[in-house]
This record gives sequence, C-alpha cells and structure tokens, in this order.
Amino acid sequence: MAYIRDEDKKYLKGEFDKHLREEVKLIVFVGDNCQYCSVASAIAQEVAELHPLIKFEEHNIGDDLAKEYGLEHAPTVVITDGDRYGGRIRYVGLPSGYEFSSLIEDIIDVSRRTAEVSPEVMEKLSKIDKPVRIQIFVTPTCPYCPRAVRTAHRFAILNENITGEMVEAMEFPEWADRWKVMSVPHIVINEDVQFIGAYPDEQYINYVVQAYEKMK
Amino acid sequence: MDFGLVIPTGARESKDVDLAIIGGGPAGLSAGIYAIRSGLEAIIIDKGNAGGLAEEAPYVENYLGYKGIKGEDLVREFKEHAMDYVEITERNEVKEIIKEDDRYLIKAEKGDYRARAIIFATGTTHKTLNIPGEKELFGKGVSYCVTCDGYFFRGKRVAVIGGGNSGAIAAIYLKDIGVEPVVLEYMPRFMCEKAYEKIIKERGIPYHTNVQVTSIEGKDKVEGVVYKDRATGEEKKVEVDGVFIYVGLIPISGLAKKLGVETDEKGYIKVDLTMRTNVPRIYAAGDVTGYAGQIIIAAGQGAMAALSAYEDLMLK
Repeated sequence: MAYIRDEDKKYLKGEFDKHLREEVKLIVFVGDNCQYCSVASAIAQEVAELHPLIKFEEHNIGDDLAKEYGLEHAPTVVITDGDRYGGRIRYVGLPSGYEFSSLIEDIIDVSRRTAEVSPEVMEKLSKIDKPVRIQIFVTPTCPYCPRAVRTAHRFAILNENITGEMVEAMEFPEWADRWKVMSVPHIVINEDVQFIGAYPDEQYINYVVQAYEKMK
Repeated sequence: MDFGLVIPTGARESKDVDLAIIGGGPAGLSAGIYAIRSGLEAIIIDKGNAGGLAEEAPYVENYLGYKGIKGEDLVREFKEHAMDYVEITERNEVKEIIKEDDRYLIKAEKGDYRARAIIFATGTTHKTLNIPGEKELFGKGVSYCVTCDGYFFRGKRVAVIGGGNSGAIAAIYLKDIGVEPVVLEYMPRFMCEKAYEKIIKERGIPYHTNVQVTSIEGKDKVEGVVYKDRATGEEKKVEVDGVFIYVGLIPISGLAKKLGVETDEKGYIKVDLTMRTNVPRIYAAGDVTGYAGQIIIAAGQGAMAALSAYEDLMLK
C-alpha cells in the first residue's frame, strides 16, 4: 500500500528535481515492539524512490550507527549527508501529518547543504561552540509545529554543535509527561530552557543562546 | 490507514510579480487562482502553512458542496487547487514592506519580492481573555488550539470558554476524541449556529450560558475555572484539567497599517465592495476585513480582490 498519493508524488518529484543538489541519506532506525516502524520505513522508502539523490537506509536502534548518533527510540528518522550533519537532524516518532512537510523541506535543505536565516540570527548562531540539543514536542495535527521543527533543523544545518530533535508527543507520552507537555510546539533546549509556541527565528535563537550561556 | 501527510510548497527564490498575496488562507488561495487565470503574475506568501485558521477547524459543514469535511482536508483541497496555478511560499514570514516608486518591496524570510500590487489576506489570530491565570497557565493546560492539544486531555475534563461557532466546534471535537468538555458562554443564549447547538445537545455536552469567567486556577497546571453567574451574581467553580479559549479573533493588519491602509477601531482593514482599500493597488480579503469569519466569504472576497487588482493593473 502506498502512503503518499500519486499526485503528491508527482509534485514532490518536481520539487526534488528543481531543488536537490547533492546526495541525502534518509535513515530510519527501527526497533522491536514498535508500532510505527514499518510505516516510517515505508514512507521513507517511497520518498527515496522519487529521486536518485535520496538514499534510503534502515538501521536498528542499538546498532553502531544508532550509538554513534546517540539514538534510543524507534522509529527515529535521520536526514543527513552521512558526514557533517551526522544524526543531528532527526525525528523521533513518525513524521506524519504536518511534520511530513518538515521532512521534505529538510531533505531539500540537507541536499543544498545550507538553510536560510537572517544575518543577525546567523551571527548569534555562529557563536554556539558547545553541543546544544533542541527537542521539539509536536502532535501531527498541529499546524504550527512544523515551523518550530524546521527552525531547529535549519539551525542544526548551519551549526554543527546543534541537534534538532522532533519528538512526537502522542507516540512517546511518558517522555512528553516528563516535560509536562500540554501545548505544542513545546521546545526543550539542553533539557533546561523551555518555551511554547512557533516563534520567529529572532526570538527562537535567543532561547538557544540562553541555554548555551547557562552551560558556561 | 491515513497518516494525513501534508505536502510543503516550494519557492525560496526572490522574484518580481504583478501581485503579491500575503496570507495563504482561503482568501489568499482563491485570490491566487483568480489572479493567475486573469493573466497576472502572482505569488502567495504565508508565514506558516497555507490554509490559515480554517486548518484548525475540526469540522466544516457550511462550505458549498461539502456536507461535512475536516478543516484540514478542505484546506488541502484548496491548496492543491491553487498550486495548479500559483506559486505558494510557506513558512516565509513577511518582515517589512517598503514602498518604492511604482512597486512594493516585500522583504520576507526566504527572499525579497517586488510587486505592483498587494492583497492582504493576513487573517486573524486568537484573542486572549486577559484574566488571571490565563498567561501563567498557558501551556500548562491553557490552550488556543484544539487540534494541536486536544489529545493531551483524553479521559479528562476541560472547559471551553466561548460558545460561538469556533468554541462549539472545539467542544464537539473534544467530545469525539474522548475528552469531557464543558462550554462556558458569556451571553444568555447559545451563540453558535443552530446546527451546532443541536449536536451539542445530542451529545450531552454541558453548555452554560450567561456566565463570566473570572479566573483560571491552578498551581503548576490548570485545576479549575472560576466564573460568575451573570443572572444571580453567584460565583462558581468548575474543576477541569484544561481550558480551551475561543473568545474571538483579532485582525493581523500591522503591515498594512504601516503602508497607510485604514483600519477600523478594532484593526480590521477597511475595504469597499470591490475589496480596494484607501491605498491604490492595495486590497484586503478574508477575515482581516472583519466580515463574518466564514471560509466561503473569505474565498469570495479573495476572488473579488484579485479581479480588482487585475482591473487596476491591466485595464487602466
């Protein structure tokens, strides 16, 4: 069964033809007793079939690559060049609903090996020289969430110290409970600084800087 | 099984167009179709996902041709239809608009666009109540988006403040996903369409009228809502785990105002019947004009605005 509709495939193919530049790996990490792992793999495979520059790989949580990337939950979807971006641009849980659009935009940016932010945001971003992990708790039916996910992922593309991790709150309720997530997008930086809402880059980066400053 | 995969729209490059449409809700999408079909070069720029607030509507039962459809599904059809004609750039917030000689320079996150005319289809955002506890408990049980956060309250009791159409639909949606909602309405009667009133009664959703909510209580999370019975003056409290606020909308008209576009005292953009504003080659359509807040009206206004732009740019 196809998860992506034919007309959507046609459109995505056109977008990929227009924007993809270099190879992108779409890696799905699967595990045991995982309700959505097979769906995550199937969707990723369908996406990869749309363009020769997109390479699908399936790995297991617990294998060497999962350890290298520091992944513990299945499914996790990683979009990477296999090198510079490592496992820093990722989705824990199925990137369905609105988050599918984030996934596609990430593929394009990773393939372009760049993303857009304003010069002021870039200046603040370039000062981050220690690892910062941005977790974005979402639900697939939240129209505002992709903006928050994409901001973290754009930051991760532009700064190798940043990891952007979407977490699907419905699939990982205990994890969401730990941060008392009741409204999404709910952003947790370095398991410390938190905020709720899809803020513009200029405000978002200030929270990232705040979390970074607290590490000093 | 349907995972509701939402497809993003492209466009990251800067470009010059005849008409820039700011906002990709029903008004903007409809304007885009009409603009391109009439022969204008146009682009739709949206700060989030194309679709607008309609996307948050759990059900739409009054759009012609659809007896009942989820807001997100209706919007997907709008978007797909529009994408056959017009370029839509999403998650691309317009930061500033500068008037040049006979053009407007639109500076947005993903690029700069020059346009001879602009349609503001910027819509509205949720109004806050400004009562104690609302700000403090936002994200701790207080929410403005039922499709985003409703699932967190399955098996729990929540208050929906505001019993107009949006509040009524929210309550019905919550009930459907296994939440127990109670609606609190300020006016002494049902303020939603008769059709929603009927569903609310059928499903046994409590709908209290003539009550004024005075505070949201709770320490680390929402524990209850305090309200006053406006008839008796008696203060009451309902214990809930969540609060969804649907007390109306405020227009997003800041960018337009900076260009000298007139608004009414609430900030809604003033338009004539052809959707022209007081500034030549600037139009407005949809909820930002303050008419009705209905998808079908927004779509109609968008069409009208595009036709006016065509007339002003091509026929004069």
